[in-house]
Amino acid sequence: MADERKRKLSKKIKAVGLLLVFTVVLVFVSRDAFLYSDTVAKVTFVRNTFSHEEEGPNEETEKYYQQEIRAIILNGTQKGKEIVLSNMYSTSGINDERYRKGEQLFIAVDNREESGVIEGKKRDIYLAVLIGVFSFLLLFLNEWQGGIILLSLILNMAIFLAALWSYGRGNNLIMLANILMLIFSVLTLLFAGGFHKKTLAAIIATVLTTLLCYGIYEIVLHTSARLPYEMMDYVVNPADLSDLFLTGVLMGSLGAVMDVSISIAAGVSEIVKQTPDVKLKALIQSVREMGYDIMGTMINVLFFTYISGAIPMMVVKIKNGYTLYHLIHFQIVFEIIRFLMGAVGIVLAIPVSGACAVLLLHTAGIKKWRRAK
Amino acid sequence: MILVLLGILFGLMVLIGGNRGLDSFFALVRTVIAFGIDIYLMAWGFPPIPATFLISIFLVVTVLYIQNGRNRKMHAAAISVVLVLLFIFFTAGPLLWSAGISGYNEIEQYEEISMYLSADLDISMSAISLAAIVLGLLGAIMDTAVAVTTAVNEVYVNKPELTGKQLFLSGMSVGKDILGTTVNTLFFAGLGESIMLAVLFMRNEDTLVAILNSKALFQELSGLLLGATGCLLIIPLSSLVCAGFLTLSKEKMPEDKQLLQKCYKNYKKFLKFVKNVLK
Repeated sequence: MADERKRKLSKKIKAVGLLLVFTVVLVFVSRDAFLYSDTVAKVTFVRNTFSHEEEGPNEETEKYYQQEIRAIILNGTQKGKEIVLSNMYSTSGINDERYRKGEQLFIAVDNREESGVIEGKKRDIYLAVLIGVFSFLLLFLNEWQGGIILLSLILNMAIFLAALWSYGRGNNLIMLANILMLIFSVLTLLFAGGFHKKTLAAIIATVLTTLLCYGIYEIVLHTSARLPYEMMDYVVNPADLSDLFLTGVLMGSLGAVMDVSISIAAGVSEIVKQTPDVKLKALIQSVREMGYDIMGTMINVLFFTYISGAIPMMVVKIKNGYTLYHLIHFQIVFEIIRFLMGAVGIVLAIPVSGACAVLLLHTAGIKKWRRAK
Repeated sequence: MILVLLGILFGLMVLIGGNRGLDSFFALVRTVIAFGIDIYLMAWGFPPIPATFLISIFLVVTVLYIQNGRNRKMHAAAISVVLVLLFIFFTAGPLLWSAGISGYNEIEQYEEISMYLSADLDISMSAISLAAIVLGLLGAIMDTAVAVTTAVNEVYVNKPELTGKQLFLSGMSVGKDILGTTVNTLFFAGLGESIMLAVLFMRNEDTLVAILNSKALFQELSGLLLGATGCLLIIPLSSLVCAGFLTLSKEKMPEDKQLLQKCYKNYKKFLKFVKNVLK
């Protein structure tokens, strides 16, 4: 009884401590203007006046408003000075921004007059809130397991940035991507499964499935019409577009493939542990059963994740008169291919990881089967 | 290319999943159609948030009930999914609204496409962006909820003598196991998606300050982080609701509509139960 009370108390202390850290970080980020060399100002007063109307492509009337903004400078030599800004926004807000009282903005100050130009919103605080809430919940609900997940995310992120830096220095992208995939899968699966045979099975299955996906992608790519790479979001260097897209596609499916592989490997490991003399046929049947359950839901998750991001631009384009055919073939073709490749990866991962797990974990059964032959 | 890949996916699903693979494929088609309807409703001027809410309800019902059957565990999953969606909508909504996630970001603003697309459309981009993010969460949340409630139900069927609290804890432990892999799936999907953006930031030699405060980064990250947060929230909630459903009604549970009435009757009992578990 005393033990349990102690455990609860320590949990409470942990929660309070985490909350405290969270609050301190938020307060710090909301007041971190002094860290910036660009001028930051906080909006203290806004007055909106109707400006004019424009007609849209479907005879909509779009209202434009003029904003008169007063703001106080938060950093630099002119700290504390009040400044006058102006801004124009429209009701749909597609190509402009509406500012409200209390928000922090980056501005360029005109020294002679007490005015300035708005350069953009300061968004670091919003980002900190989202990351903070996620980390807090992760650590609070899952304790050390949550810490491990967080650590693996941070490490993966760091490796990704390092690879990006190396690519920027002129290294071959495809080679880098291959190394990256290998490191990602080994690292992530070790974090998820620990040093265990099932982790090894999952790693081998992930690598094999990703290679299979790569092969399928290349074959399909070369046998069908050229993709309109120039329609992609954030086009940079035309020379590397196809390789960059390929890297993104494989990376996206990698996460899903790892998920399937570790789930199936863990399932097989659990069955073998519970009933070491399980028949090979029964084991394969269980793998199929697990596969059915995973397949539908995982494919759904990928679909929601990939396609929802494209919704806002699709609405804008439909309103601008794009047809469904054009949308699918030129606008969201990349999202669709990402999703389809991820889904193919998930389905392929089921037999591949099943085979790897059975071969590695059920050695007794395999031997028996060989002897019987 | 899309058609060829779709064909390959269909073939593989049928080959590996058999009849159930076929079912999953048609479930996917339903989801695609629901997304299409949502997009066209918004484009035709239907208010984005009510439209997306209706579509979400439709998706919850079809994905949970048609794919997994109408039973207690799915009722529990559906209720927790809707609760988490509403919670995220009301807490994260104002934050996203104020952060300005809508419209073109810094990079798109200077791309050709934004030059010849009309911006005078009389729609609320903030509402559409928010609706899209909430819709994007739905997949991962439903997946996690189904996994947790199925596991809790499985434990209950094998050992009906367990108390509500024990069932809740078993739900939590299953949830913890899936959480890591789900977060990874979302993380790598996001990483794959944002690789172009990352390269662009690097090529432009943007400063860290500009990147951290950019709309482009925020647009990419907000959906990802909220999705992961939603998965974190749904684990205790769906364990709690499912454990409550299973232990509070020892007698045979009436199906569907009567369930809601029953639920209402059990409301106070349930609150007491929640208090007990929290203790």
